[in-house]
Amino acid sequence: MIPAAVFLLSASSLAFEVLLTRIFSISQWNHLSFMVISIALFGFASSGTFLGILDARKQGWEKHLSTDHSYKILSLLYSLTAILSYIVLNRMPLDYFRLALEPVQALYLLTAYLILCLPFFLAGLIVSLAYVLMPDKTGRTYLATMTGSAVGAFAPFVLVPFCGEGPLIILVSLIPLVILPFPVRGLKPLMPDDRRSGKSYFIMLLAGIGWTLTAVFFIFHDNGAMIHVRPSAYKFLSQMLKYPNTRIAGTVFSLKGRIDRVESPYVRFAPGLSLKYTEKLPDQWVAFKDADDPFVFFDSDQIRKTRFGAGTLSFAGYHLIPDAEKTLIIQSGGGSAIACAIASGVRNIQVVENNPHIAELIRRHYGLSVFDGNSKTFLKHTDERFDLIQIENWGPSIPGAAALTQNHLFTVASLKSCLEHLSSRGVLIISRKLLLPPADSLRLWSSAYESLKMMNAANPGEHITVLRNWDTFTLIVSLPPLGPRAEKLKDFARQWNFDLVYLPALSEASANRYSMFDRPFHFLEISRLARAYETGEQKRYFNEYFLDVRPQTDDRPFPSRFLKWSGFQESYQASGSRFYPLFMSGEIVVWVVFIEALVVSVVLLMLPLLAIRTRGRRFPVRSLIFFLSVGAGFMFVEMFFIKVYTLLFADPVISFTMVITGVLVFSGVGGYFSERIDMPRLRYGLAGLIACLVIGYFSVYAVVGRLLGLSLTAQYVWAFALLLPVGLLMGLPFPVAMQRGLESPFQRAHAWAANGCASVLASILSVQIALNFGISTIMLAAVCSYAISLFSAEGPVKTIVQKDQ
Amino acid sequence: MKKTPFFVCMLLLIGFSALYASDDEAGYLKARENMVRVQIEARGISDAKVLKAMREVPRHLFVPVQLRGRAYSDSPLPIGGGQTISQPYIVALMTESLGLKGDERVLEIGTGSGYQAAVLAGIVKEVYSIEIRKDLYENASQTLGSLNFTDIQTRHGDGYFGWKEVAPFDAIMITAAVDHIPPPLLGQLKDSGKLILPLGNPFSYQNLALVTRQGEDYSIRQITGVLFVPMTGHASDPDAGKGR
Repeated sequence: MIPAAVFLLSASSLAFEVLLTRIFSISQWNHLSFMVISIALFGFASSGTFLGILDARKQGWEKHLSTDHSYKILSLLYSLTAILSYIVLNRMPLDYFRLALEPVQALYLLTAYLILCLPFFLAGLIVSLAYVLMPDKTGRTYLATMTGSAVGAFAPFVLVPFCGEGPLIILVSLIPLVILPFPVRGLKPLMPDDRRSGKSYFIMLLAGIGWTLTAVFFIFHDNGAMIHVRPSAYKFLSQMLKYPNTRIAGTVFSLKGRIDRVESPYVRFAPGLSLKYTEKLPDQWVAFKDADDPFVFFDSDQIRKTRFGAGTLSFAGYHLIPDAEKTLIIQSGGGSAIACAIASGVRNIQVVENNPHIAELIRRHYGLSVFDGNSKTFLKHTDERFDLIQIENWGPSIPGAAALTQNHLFTVASLKSCLEHLSSRGVLIISRKLLLPPADSLRLWSSAYESLKMMNAANPGEHITVLRNWDTFTLIVSLPPLGPRAEKLKDFARQWNFDLVYLPALSEASANRYSMFDRPFHFLEISRLARAYETGEQKRYFNEYFLDVRPQTDDRPFPSRFLKWSGFQESYQASGSRFYPLFMSGEIVVWVVFIEALVVSVVLLMLPLLAIRTRGRRFPVRSLIFFLSVGAGFMFVEMFFIKVYTLLFADPVISFTMVITGVLVFSGVGGYFSERIDMPRLRYGLAGLIACLVIGYFSVYAVVGRLLGLSLTAQYVWAFALLLPVGLLMGLPFPVAMQRGLESPFQRAHAWAANGCASVLASILSVQIALNFGISTIMLAAVCSYAISLFSAEGPVKTIVQKDQ
Repeated sequence: MKKTPFFVCMLLLIGFSALYASDDEAGYLKARENMVRVQIEARGISDAKVLKAMREVPRHLFVPVQLRGRAYSDSPLPIGGGQTISQPYIVALMTESLGLKGDERVLEIGTGSGYQAAVLAGIVKEVYSIEIRKDLYENASQTLGSLNFTDIQTRHGDGYFGWKEVAPFDAIMITAAVDHIPPPLLGQLKDSGKLILPLGNPFSYQNLALVTRQGEDYSIRQITGVLFVPMTGHASDPDAGKGR
């Protein structure tokens, strides 16, 4: 029965964590969703610290906490704190983007952190109690923890579309209460006499029923206003809803993102529109993903009747091929690319959209053919050639908010794949927001250059052009050299008052005519980059430029991340010597969270050690290193697969669900068999695991490349199956060492805390590793971690041998 | 005779009030002069017409009574409902950037307190100002009326579509952050006309941008980075904010 309680708690707490991540990404931005992982793991780790201190300070504590009654009280408290912390969080005026301006926001953030830690602390306490009190059943406890967590990771994926995030977080928090009517076998009854035990049982049951009814009341009271997820006031949706006659026409919930359809006379989306367009904009309505990231739908008839589509920067590509027959539009937010294609009169428009709900809306609104999925998969499956391919992705409404976002649309490999699907006269069009100092334009230019080089273009620079208006730029890559067609682009720019930024032999004077900066910064910088490529000094250029504008690869796909630590001072000066814009960058948050996590980890790990010093007991350093490295290694592997599978599914949520579910299930099974494994054999297991990880490091991209060519079902099956060997082996070290390498409840509690702390630090560190060195380096970190655990496993072996003798 | 003390008291009261009022006026005048010298001229604003208008318009009468003491400080001030009156320097900079000569017709989008319209009226012949929020429109109209600004026409409505009936304009000024230039406003600019606005993400930093029409062509010049309070609401929202 204890494994059942642990299973339910693990399922509930992981589902709670996944849903909190979703809620943060709606109510704030992804920066704080990232914080949820650290909150959860710290909650778990601090439970180990708590038990360690308890063991050091209070003898006989096991008698109080190993009763049926205490397990139920803890489960009830978990449920209470989970629901109440969510409601408090939802009502708190926390706003990440005001953090640098309003000191009170730091207090809100700290409060949110602490209250959200509570349910995880209680869940961790129940699980760690099982480990500490029943060392002989560690394997079974581990199986229950892991499979429960796997169910918790998967359940929201299935259930969110039916309930929405708010009600579901309440419901999953009630799951552990299922054990209340049943005796928890393996634990002592509360009271020695049956009558008092019976009374306590009924009080507990009544409390459980009362709390369940209260929670249900929260769901239905005032149409769920108490638990409704409120987007940040600075999200596009919140702003839009303040306009008169504006309403949400429908909402679809899904773990891939909440989609709100909004109708308003004030939807006025016109990125890249020429100043010469002075007519009314076509009627529009908009769909928001997670309350931001708008996708705008235009009135098709009005597009055809007005010059709207033709007056946007992206239309430059269509201007080059006026009789284009086939267009492929790869969508990721926006919506103006479709308007452009319709305005051009191109007959065959194929759209690729990764979000199924947006894809369906495009089908219904425009009647176009839409592939719902990863653009890489689409291109892998099709032999068609297109006259134009347009990638549309404008990014979030706040600059810097996407710094941590993994996006494979603009990698060199992706651009090459697009070029391979162009007809012999075809062009690739990419439009983005114009940043000053130049950043995105430089990165895309060099990515285009590199992809053309891979296609054996003799002079890649002659295939590329860049145009801009005051806030957007369009990069066009032509499969044949632009040659005389460059004149057409000049005419187009003149006709619509756009500025040319890059075109072979372009003069400085003609690069700053209509949208005037103090100097033609973008022209000057791209020209400098082009010269660097011509002389083979591009590496030096990238090293010297104060922002990170290197072309992105599939191993390092963060197109909106530009911060370079060596250029921090210049970045600070470029932002007007104000810290606020830099604070918007997610990367700063990652470092802040990491330092905070490091300090808290040291405190959590040192406190119990200080407490036992007075009693002459100790925790072997090698054991500490072992559990730290195992915790870190496990998290590194998970993070590696989540990031690699994001390339496969083009969706971090599917990737997260798949990896967490797979790794937890398989390692749970591994953990179950761990009861038959002793420490010497564990070293073989660790060696096998390291071998698997090394093979994974060298082969993963080749495997993913093959998987992209398969059907979606086959992709799911293979992706899941690939986790099996690694997952099984990763399930061994923790339970084996917990059961056979440790001697006292204190050591087991401390090992649990160490494991949790290392997981937190590794999860944060892996983001930094991916940003700076690439995703595959996370796997190297995992290999190093498990190698350390292999060598430090020797300590507990000796202890066990001595004990057995 | 019994009423004599009462009359004496009343006379004294009126006398003191007048004295204090005149002291207040002198104080405001001094503060205004100081504002122009320290905040505006020192930062490079040199257009004599702009400086004269800034010296003449009683800014303190456009801010809430309780904030009059800070009316000439170097910052924006709240005017109620989350809205602000712009920092004096920004008012002067935006006005000077339009290069006004005196005989122009100017359209302002976002009347707010009415202060910017009053400054414009001190320079040009006709000012048209549109405010989407009814309470602001009414307050500003009343203030401008009481100060006898007869050259300013105000209107309640959505400035996005401009003021077609009285278009075209020599200059247009938008005083709230917007993320794109409303095409109908561009269409209401005269040849050689200018449009100034804080352009960019309304929830982040913007650039003060000046659009100039030359025949059929338009050019845009970024003047400086600014931080206008996001336009967090339009007509219906009582907590709406307007740029500074």
